[in-house]
Amino acid sequence: MALSAAKCPSSSAARLSLGHPSLRSSTLLRPFPNSSALARRVPSRSFKNWNLNVVCKQEAGAVPASSSAEEAPSKNVENGGLFGLSSEEYGNAIGLDASERESTVSITVVGASGDLAKKKIFPALFALYYEDCLPKHFTIFGYARSKMTDAELRTMVSKTLTCRIDKRENCSEKMEQFLNRCFYHSGQYDSEQNFAELDKKLKEHEGGRLPNRLFYLSIPPNIFIDVVKSASQSSSSKDGWTRVIVEKPFGRDSQSSAALTRGLKQYLEEDQIFRIDHYLGKELVENLSILRFSNLVFEPLWSRQYIRNVQLIFSEDFGTEGRGGYFDNYGIIRDIMQNHLLQILALFAMETPVSMDAEDIRNEKVKVLRSMKPLQLEDVVIGQYKSHTKGGVTYPGYTDDKTVPKGSLTPTFAAAALFIDNARWDGVPFLMKAGKALHTRRTEIRVQFRHVPGNLYKRSFGTDLDRATNELVIRVQPNEAIYLKINNKIPGLGMRLDRSNLNLLYASRYSKEIPDAYERLLLDAIEGERRLFIRSDELDAAWELFTPLLRELEEKKIAPELYPYGSRGPVGAHYLAANYNVRWGDLSASETT
Amino acid sequence: MAVCFRCHRFGASAPSSVDHHRTLARKNKVWPASVPSLLAGHEAIRKWGFQMKSFNGYPLNVVSSQKEEPYADHSKAKEEQIDSTVSITVVGASGDLAKKKIFPALFALFYEDCLPKHFTVFGYARTQLTDEELRNMIGKTLTCRIDKRENCGDKMEQFLERCFYHSGQYGSEENFLELDRKLKDKEVGKSANRLFYLSIPPNIFVDVVRCASRTASSPTGWTRVIVEKPFGRDSQSSGELTRSLKQHLTEDQIFRIDHYLGKELVENLSVLRFSNLVFEPLWSRKFIRNVQLIFSEDFGTEGRGGYFDSYGIIRDIMQNHLLQILALFAMETPVSLDAEDIRNEKVKVLRSMRTLQLDDVVVGQYKGHTRAALFIDNARWDGVPFLMKAGKALHTRRAEIRVQFRHVPGNLYKRNFGTDLDKATNELVIRVQPDEAIYLKINNKIPGLGMRLDSSNLNLLYASRYPREIPDAYERLLLDAIEGERRLFIRSDELDAAWALFTPVLKELDDKRIAPELYPYGSRGPVGAHYLAAKYKVRWGDLISQYS
Repeated sequence: MALSAAKCPSSSAARLSLGHPSLRSSTLLRPFPNSSALARRVPSRSFKNWNLNVVCKQEAGAVPASSSAEEAPSKNVENGGLFGLSSEEYGNAIGLDASERESTVSITVVGASGDLAKKKIFPALFALYYEDCLPKHFTIFGYARSKMTDAELRTMVSKTLTCRIDKRENCSEKMEQFLNRCFYHSGQYDSEQNFAELDKKLKEHEGGRLPNRLFYLSIPPNIFIDVVKSASQSSSSKDGWTRVIVEKPFGRDSQSSAALTRGLKQYLEEDQIFRIDHYLGKELVENLSILRFSNLVFEPLWSRQYIRNVQLIFSEDFGTEGRGGYFDNYGIIRDIMQNHLLQILALFAMETPVSMDAEDIRNEKVKVLRSMKPLQLEDVVIGQYKSHTKGGVTYPGYTDDKTVPKGSLTPTFAAAALFIDNARWDGVPFLMKAGKALHTRRTEIRVQFRHVPGNLYKRSFGTDLDRATNELVIRVQPNEAIYLKINNKIPGLGMRLDRSNLNLLYASRYSKEIPDAYERLLLDAIEGERRLFIRSDELDAAWELFTPLLRELEEKKIAPELYPYGSRGPVGAHYLAANYNVRWGDLSASETT
Repeated sequence: MAVCFRCHRFGASAPSSVDHHRTLARKNKVWPASVPSLLAGHEAIRKWGFQMKSFNGYPLNVVSSQKEEPYADHSKAKEEQIDSTVSITVVGASGDLAKKKIFPALFALFYEDCLPKHFTVFGYARTQLTDEELRNMIGKTLTCRIDKRENCGDKMEQFLERCFYHSGQYGSEENFLELDRKLKDKEVGKSANRLFYLSIPPNIFVDVVRCASRTASSPTGWTRVIVEKPFGRDSQSSGELTRSLKQHLTEDQIFRIDHYLGKELVENLSVLRFSNLVFEPLWSRKFIRNVQLIFSEDFGTEGRGGYFDSYGIIRDIMQNHLLQILALFAMETPVSLDAEDIRNEKVKVLRSMRTLQLDDVVVGQYKGHTRAALFIDNARWDGVPFLMKAGKALHTRRAEIRVQFRHVPGNLYKRNFGTDLDKATNELVIRVQPDEAIYLKINNKIPGLGMRLDSSNLNLLYASRYPREIPDAYERLLLDAIEGERRLFIRSDELDAAWALFTPVLKELDDKRIAPELYPYGSRGPVGAHYLAAKYKVRWGDLISQYS
């Protein structure tokens, strides 16, 4: 294939490749004189040209698995996906100079022996490598306190690597090549000396190329600052960029979060900090803005005039299962609502940004968060799962977990009603629900529309017009899908209506495996794309909404409502919804069958 | 499952009385889930009965329920029905339409328990046939629903026993008088309703109507006549036909069939628009760029071009089927779903339309393939082209409605779409046949690490959502005629308005002997059609290549 270099759909090769066609396959990153300049320049530049990705052959192969509502079997003249410039045009357009210095990226996973690193970070890095999305020169370092050789790290990492289901060619060969680039350095998290040793090793591998360095902090939050201090002082890149990915928890309230931000900013610029919320890397969350802003049929409906309520639902069908130690200190509100669900809400509800650039989007998101009122205790229901025996199997309650303190009041379930006091959303309840040990595992966004005013078919609906309203469902996981519930005539001689779905099931439309959120986010961090990372003012605004409530829950020692393991959660959630004339869409009859 | 719910209607005969429903409501304690709250006490029952009547006999429905609810045991209700009978006389019983559509539709209605308990079917034609011969002829074309084969043979036999034949001339009052006697024999003193289906060439419509109305009208019940196109060949001849029919019949006895209006997805059009909040706000020039009404057949006249040649596809398809769909699509919200309210709105659309101009029409060979651009000069649709395309001997067989939306103003993703934003617009497609479906084309991100968009469909495929066989349009329309439901039949003022739009251009085509553009059998039709669409900046949706 001619454009083999463009195998990675979002690769630096496509975004920043050289103008000369023969050099197109090289993956040189553009060298930047210093990190801060880079940080400011890259995102807007690469981002504005993101349509370049369209050249990738790899995704051009993402032709639908089946085309159920098949049109005329006509010729492929205007493939809707292939809009935009070719990489060649782009290379010429930005006029890069082939004489510039070659660059390299070193990715250091701090806390390399931890669970997240093993399950998510290394596999995501390998997937990026496999898809040709990493720069040509890259090095991966594991850093942790345990003593380990490079070989031991490689053995550990290799156990979790997999190739895409749909592309098994050269898989083991690729794995070997990847593992050969993985190294390990053992050191204390707060030792500048140990990080200076790391710096030496990194330099060896960088071999004089322009060094860019990415640190992934896969460690407990209490040592964030130590690591950042040591790394920034003794292993920052001297003439490339240095970026740090941190993951939640970002504090446990406004105050501690602000302290963390201040601590980080002693050593890092805001634009070096990449705060991950991996829900923002999920395919259907990314797709939210496309649905809204590239389809005429949705945007006119996107307001209080047509939308009755919005539901953001997260549920897991398992409990803490022996790993409740960390969770107990945070609870479901901090773990899921204040970050994942609130981020989705902000993306859903924001005004149209000036552009799809990171700062424009984050400006709009923060406006939404700042238009919201802090949560009130009466708008929240909390729950905690208790032991439940079903079919001879006993499922443990939350407090049966040995890592959880006896008598813990930490909520494992919460439901909340939030409001955005702006012109678009005034009075529309945004209901959130998050819980562990429920009957199902799923994450979805449900948009319930108002009833049809003066409905001609009202006699066909009985008295409750609200039952027969349209609903748009965006199922983030599992089985990604978008569907719109419409009222439709049941075929036949009578005039009976039902609710049917206009469906888009990803599995039947797109045959390719959907990349894990971590792949997207790691790649974005390498490319300096900040759109899907949380800016500090967003984080502050998010904590401000939840902090008073969290404090009140803890000070008043409010007991969570108990619900059986594997159930649909506490009844209180229904009363909360009923207060605002809302029915939970995920519990309606047609959804649970 | 209660027997009645095979037939998804309450009244198997003309709209039942309030009292009847009240009795039903009292006698049967099985209600759909949402009804009891609605029906607290007799007051509500009376109200419901009233509603039922105004709603043309449709059952109350529980929208959230995916299953059929046994509202009431209808078989008991049938016992109590007033003693009336319906005699259905198919005039032109040996013709093709009768054999292929009318008798099978009557049988399907019988099979589904939708016909009144007492009914008789008569075939009438000039050919000499015995009852037995008629039954043999009919028997060959009857089928049971694929999904319900139980008792099929029994049912067929029962049905055929109620079929009789009478031979007679179409212009003979005497022959119809003989028919009247035979009908009376079968009706034996019951209140007699009579339906005549004129499955005959239009030049003898008036003869038959004259004879039948004078000598075979029902003295005790209603008499209705179903006529099918062609209703004339221009404004003048259509006007004459209407005047002649009205010498013998009143307007509400005439049921002008347009069988496209009986198609499931055409019926569903109003449901989509008026019972879904998400569509109605988009239903105007503000959001809709153009509407396309497409009809194609993948076969030609195949040796039966005699009739067709004198009419052409404009008269055969556009002036009636496509125009009727257009009117339903574009009408304002009616006051209610009653027949007169709907037909009032449809006729308003037709009367708001610009008369078709010659330069807005492209004609293919033998007028077998034609495209036209029409405009509705009202506040909702000003400037929106409604494009019609109808053709025979094309590469595919289909009937569909395509609604192309405007582009997104200030599209943030415009770089992903290249220069032609109109390529990436939403489109709602209602596929009437084959493989009934509704789908909405949306722009979507192709999953993966990049930011590439494609056009994907939000799909509703009837075959996968609704396993039951969809009734033929003729079943619905016959049942409606028996029940006196006129919603899906064409009123004379609608017919006049429809002809007024097309007559001048038809006359001009004939007068100027405009030569049709030739196109190869099995192709996509003449190129001129693309120029016509391009003139109004439209791309034919069915010819846009699909990556999906």
